[in-house]
Amino acid sequence: MPEQYPARNSRVAWRVYDGEAVILVAEDSTLNTLNAVGTVVWEAADGRTPVSAIVDRVCDEFDVDLAQAERDVAGFIEKLRRRGLLNVAASPDAVP
Amino acid sequence: MADVVIAIAGLRTAIATRDGDVVQLVRDRYKGFLSPGSPAWRLEIETGPVGARRTHDDVLVSRAGAEPRYVINRGDFAGTVDLLSRGASVTLADANEYSLDSFLRILYSLALVEARALVVHAASLVRHRHAHLFCGRSGSGKTTVARLSPDATLLSDELSIVRISDGHAQCHGTPFWGELARAGDDRAAPLAGIHFLHHGPRHASSVVTPRQAIERLLPNVLFFARDPELTARVLAIAADLVDAAPCSDLSFRLDPGFWEVIDRA
Repeated sequence: MPEQYPARNSRVAWRVYDGEAVILVAEDSTLNTLNAVGTVVWEAADGRTPVSAIVDRVCDEFDVDLAQAERDVAGFIEKLRRRGLLNVAASPDAVP
Repeated sequence: MADVVIAIAGLRTAIATRDGDVVQLVRDRYKGFLSPGSPAWRLEIETGPVGARRTHDDVLVSRAGAEPRYVINRGDFAGTVDLLSRGASVTLADANEYSLDSFLRILYSLALVEARALVVHAASLVRHRHAHLFCGRSGSGKTTVARLSPDATLLSDELSIVRISDGHAQCHGTPFWGELARAGDDRAAPLAGIHFLHHGPRHASSVVTPRQAIERLLPNVLFFARDPELTARVLAIAADLVDAAPCSDLSFRLDPGFWEVIDRA
């Protein structure tokens, strides 16, 4: 499976409260809130960190096995990509 | 061209127009907010065809280029707001109070971000020299709370302005009214609490966390611009605001007893 590099959309503003992110989208002022696991993924999505490293972080911080974490992180990244919150590239810093 | 100066939340705007009906409209509608001081902003108003094709209530605010300049269109007006020069202009289809008020609400929602203030869908009342913000969408009880508080000073029953300075929040009266059809007082008071309103069978208040507060507050912030820079500033002000004042969910029924719950909290 080729590596992927998620990056937060630059047109959103966000903050983390008690380990949970609140994301405000400029385009339509919609508000998204993430749970603790989602927030780890979100904070790591800097366009330079590969998905495999994000999965490792999730495994380190939460009681979850690797296979489950891989499925959950991939599904979550895809969900945020469809919402326009994340962009995903095949190489580091390739996201516009 | 006649100038009338109004000040809302301390932000003075000179309104310049050749239309005598508009001058009279401003003097009447904003009479509690007329101000003799030197203006920070200038708004030029014309009346005539606006050429907009949008439906009456559909507001579009878009950034025009790299500078912080916004184009604002609705069926009954078309205007611009330039944050750099602190100048705005608008063409109103006619000297209509509703159109002018709507444009001013948008203008102030943009202009006040620089002053670290937000325009919020909330009633606000001053009691014992402190302001309380009652936040909620239409039907949540903003006007009802104002009606049930004859001993309090009304700042607004619909759109309030809260400003952050040195970690302290102040709530300002506005001329932007709701069902009450009465302007608030032109005064400010330290913000004692933010209450997220909903009707219930009894009066009850429960503290909410900063995260819950920001989730409840942001949908009530008057904010139109599809602009990442401004969005980030609005989020930062909102975050400071929920840190600066105690935030709670307030369930209330139709009597003034909710003030006892607030006083006890």
